Amino acid sequence: MTSTAPLPALQTETGRPPRDWVLIGLWISLFVVAVIWIAPFVFIVFTSLKSTTQVMTTSAFSPPVDPQFGNYASAWARGRFETTFVNSAVIAAIKVPLGLFISAMAAYALAKIPMRFGRLTLVLILFGTMIPFQVMLAPIFTLVNGFGLIDTYPGVILPYLAFGIPYQVFILHGFFRSIPHELSEAARIDGASHFVTFRRVFLPVSLPVLAALFILDFVATWNEFAMALVLLQDREMWTLPLGLSAFQGQFSRDYGQLNAAIVMTVLPATIVYLIFQRYFVSGLTSGAVKG
Amino acid sequence: MASVTISNVRKNYGAVSVIHGVDIDIRHGEFVVLVGPSGCGKSTLLRMVAGLENISAGTIAIDDRVVNHLEPKDRDIAMVFQNYALYPQMSVAQNMSFALELARVDKATIRQKVDAAAAILGLEPLLDRKPAQLSGGQRQRVAMGRAIVRNPKVFLFDEPLSNLDAKLRVAMRAEIKGLHQRLGTTVVYVTHDQIEAMTMADRIVVLNAGRVEQVGTPLELYDRPVNRFVAGFIGSPAMNFIRGTLQAGQAGLKVASGAVMAVGAYPSEFAGREVELGIRPEHIQVVETAGLDARVEVVEPTGSETHVVVDTGGEKLVALIRRRMPISVGDGLSVAFEDGQAHLFDAESGQRLDLEHGAR
Repeated sequence: MTSTAPLPALQTETGRPPRDWVLIGLWISLFVVAVIWIAPFVFIVFTSLKSTTQVMTTSAFSPPVDPQFGNYASAWARGRFETTFVNSAVIAAIKVPLGLFISAMAAYALAKIPMRFGRLTLVLILFGTMIPFQVMLAPIFTLVNGFGLIDTYPGVILPYLAFGIPYQVFILHGFFRSIPHELSEAARIDGASHFVTFRRVFLPVSLPVLAALFILDFVATWNEFAMALVLLQDREMWTLPLGLSAFQGQFSRDYGQLNAAIVMTVLPATIVYLIFQRYFVSGLTSGAVKG
Repeated sequence: MASVTISNVRKNYGAVSVIHGVDIDIRHGEFVVLVGPSGCGKSTLLRMVAGLENISAGTIAIDDRVVNHLEPKDRDIAMVFQNYALYPQMSVAQNMSFALELARVDKATIRQKVDAAAAILGLEPLLDRKPAQLSGGQRQRVAMGRAIVRNPKVFLFDEPLSNLDAKLRVAMRAEIKGLHQRLGTTVVYVTHDQIEAMTMADRIVVLNAGRVEQVGTPLELYDRPVNRFVAGFIGSPAMNFIRGTLQAGQAGLKVASGAVMAVGAYPSEFAGREVELGIRPEHIQVVETAGLDARVEVVEPTGSETHVVVDTGGEKLVALIRRRMPISVGDGLSVAFEDGQAHLFDAESGQRLDLEHGAR
């Protein structure tokens, strides 16, 4: 074949490349999946702006004709958001960074410091990821109650840490192991202690994966319901998800306000996600492929 | 400058022994290259000097101070790694100043030392860049800069040029050697590349399977290898070996095919002994008459010289010819060994048998 001969397999008669049906199929399914995922959110936002009458008389996906922004103000008051929002924020602000820091230190130690029983310790920590927390709710309640920490921030932060750390150690341990050992050896020759190596060399290198874990952990902590329900009985200590239950009265159902409350609850997590999502994606891949 | 004394050093990983009692004396300001095939223990030995590996037995002393139990930072050494090991999030200047910063040196002194090292290595325009923005050669230079600023007693290099392309490797080789001449610091350098070892070292230590085979200057090793391993390892293309029995009356070496090759003079008590004869490719000459009959199998011109693989009745030999000659595959030639250039090794032990008029 000469170099000027046409390439019939790659081009149609009009000169355009042939349609790639697999790619088209993938795009269509991607679009359908996106619609399915976005639909509830659209439903919630629309409903949050409707009055109860409108909710009952219009379709769930019809845009609100007369937006009821008042729903947000009423929901804020009725859900006692000034209390629950602060409680959620305090718990997330302490638990998420603290948990990540502890996990990172543990993962560094397990990955980079030769220890007797290091492997066994890792296995024990990983075992923690395998226990569903629902099974542990009653024992946790007894334990926290025993320490007199029911209805306190530590009473909920400590169990959150206990259930969050194993999973984060697992991810970070894999990541730290993939960092060439020469890097920590160079730091050691330069005179860095393990803590300095961890703080000055490993933490900056792991920013993407830390950002990813930060998002996941923030969203999980912010939305956590079951454990908070068991451990926080005083309404003054309730978190946002517990506050939402105030809208589920036996005799009253205000869907507009309920959905306004849901939007306000979900918003901070969404904002955190959008801010860090760039790192989130690169973090997931960097943990997986970096050799 | 410092001396490094390695005395009867051993390294075991559980039941597996990888270094079997190594003794090396490295003098003040010397450039010593540890060379050997993969897995010979050269990097392990270097890492033991650095303090990155424990020493199972024996002692390592730097300037007569035993350092066996000292942390790397307290040994006054600096190390350059094969993959550079630069801190990726730090700039070139920060990479170079990290050790000094940890040693709590004041900022002005740090600045001055980093600038001085950058000037030596031509890194001034790159001080604010991150390692990812540098080429391989520049990264290697930063790694050296990081070592230089600490002004250590000993530089340790662990195959620093293996990740560079051939041309850059030659350039960096000269640069490291120049640096050593300028600074005069003791250098221990590990490589598997015998050309690097030959070109850079004051003395070479050839290691094999956790043992020292020979220590000597590059030319000592080349001209008078103490055993078959060193003879085969040093030199490129490698030395040719022919197994056979030395004949009485200086008749030569009788090889497997039954032919007898002239190998020059040898003591009469060697007669009847089974040996391996070693001859370097450049010591095989193409002669008009009275040589071994050979058939050309491969011709590899490099420009400056031509490597010719010939078959002399079952024995394959590589000859290195510097003259331009019209040689092609299938040609019949007559080859002879240059007088007094053959090396004889005991066929069993591989140890060198000293020739009366043998290697210089």
